[in-house]
Amino acid sequence: MSDLEERLASYIAARLAEASEVRVEGLERIHGGASRETYRFRLRYASPAGEVERNLILRRDPPGSLIETERANEFNAYRAFHGTAVPVPEPLWLEEDARWLDYPFFVMQELRGFQSQAQALMMPPYSERLEQLAERKWTILGEISKADPQALGLTEVMPVPALDACWARELAHWEKVIDEDELHPQPIVRAAIRWLRRHPPPPAQKLAVVHGDYRTGNFLYDDQGEVHAILDWEMAHLGDPLEDLAWGINRVWCWARDERVGGLVDKARAIAIWERASGLRADPESLRWWEVFSSVKGQAIWISSGKEYQQGRNQDPVLALSGWWLMNAQDRAALESLGVLR
Amino acid sequence: MKPDVPVVLENVAAKLMFELAPQLRPPFLAGTITVVGVMMTMLREEWDRAAARRVEENAAMRALFREAAAQVGDAGLRARLEAAASSAEASLRIADLDAANDELRRLLIELHAWAEEQPGDAARRLETAIWRELLASTERRRFSIAPF
Repeated sequence: MSDLEERLASYIAARLAEASEVRVEGLERIHGGASRETYRFRLRYASPAGEVERNLILRRDPPGSLIETERANEFNAYRAFHGTAVPVPEPLWLEEDARWLDYPFFVMQELRGFQSQAQALMMPPYSERLEQLAERKWTILGEISKADPQALGLTEVMPVPALDACWARELAHWEKVIDEDELHPQPIVRAAIRWLRRHPPPPAQKLAVVHGDYRTGNFLYDDQGEVHAILDWEMAHLGDPLEDLAWGINRVWCWARDERVGGLVDKARAIAIWERASGLRADPESLRWWEVFSSVKGQAIWISSGKEYQQGRNQDPVLALSGWWLMNAQDRAALESLGVLR
Repeated sequence: MKPDVPVVLENVAAKLMFELAPQLRPPFLAGTITVVGVMMTMLREEWDRAAARRVEENAAMRALFREAAAQVGDAGLRARLEAAASSAEASLRIADLDAANDELRRLLIELHAWAEEQPGDAARRLETAIWRELLASTERRRFSIAPF
């Protein structure tokens, strides 16, 4: 076993009192979002019931990351939704103590054999299942939006904003990220922030669980059009359900480079599926506010990733690429939402 | 004959993405090499236009400030606009052009916020001119492989 495999095996042995001969095998890093180091591995151990073998995922905090998030939020979201209509991997252990693997981490089930890449949707067999995938993707978001955060236990572990304060809280958070991290002045995003403050949206229809990064690329799917797991909950929080809807239909996720949001179906169709599944309404003016906000949030993330890379805290080239590839597209998306780009 | 930089970048990017990456293990390493290849294709696109688009953008902002200065009542802001309008590039090095661009865009943000607070048609025309330049700026910076 490698050093990391041995240390991970020691940790798991400490967590599984009934286990012996705990072994971690085949640990290898995979792309799983730039905010956490993601590894897959096979766990083997002997238990009173016999030999156990499981494929698992390790998500470890890196020295620097695309977004500064609480790994507990992600773990708690997985725990809240596991076994519900929202498919997620089974979360196993959350460890905040850095003595085990140098940085905090959590371990969860690995679901193998599915696709996650957005670009794969443009080719057969997936390109023949876009309507089914859209139906599942936006229906599952509807399930997330209509879920009761209190019943899920999330009001105990996440801040609970007032319905009329959801927008201001999110805007203040991401504006602060831009203030702290921008390497170059951003006239479009600054104008968008001023517009958002001049045109506040109505209070949220309900307090909802907001995934925070609900987009094509962050779920596992198959060639029959089924979605098997919603991943990457690191920005999960409680807030306005329109936040996730607006983020998911943002122009920068139009992977097919046409009008299909998330590379799947047109915007009106996506909204209709979400409204039916959630029982909520996407008021056009309110949604527009959250669409403009999405471009501010997106730009904040690309700005933050660029700073992480430039300062050498995390030199994964994907952090540099995200700025190069998406900042201009995000500005164009903001201009479109603001009605400047037609 | 010395190969041109865009040709080299394009060929090296293709080698990385389509020949090397598929053979690499673990998958994370293959993904990283693909990312580097994508960045090289973007560098290829930026190489030729890098100085030109910066010079064009800085000139556009200086011209905008020259016209705006006459209608700005705030003496401090007007003085900064006039100074920026009459400024020139220190050199055609990208770092110098970027430093000037940062200064000019900082002032553009200030002018834009000022214009939004002013009543009257002249302020609306100024806002329109600023938006037109911001739109032009995004088109200058656009990459052909961008999703939008």
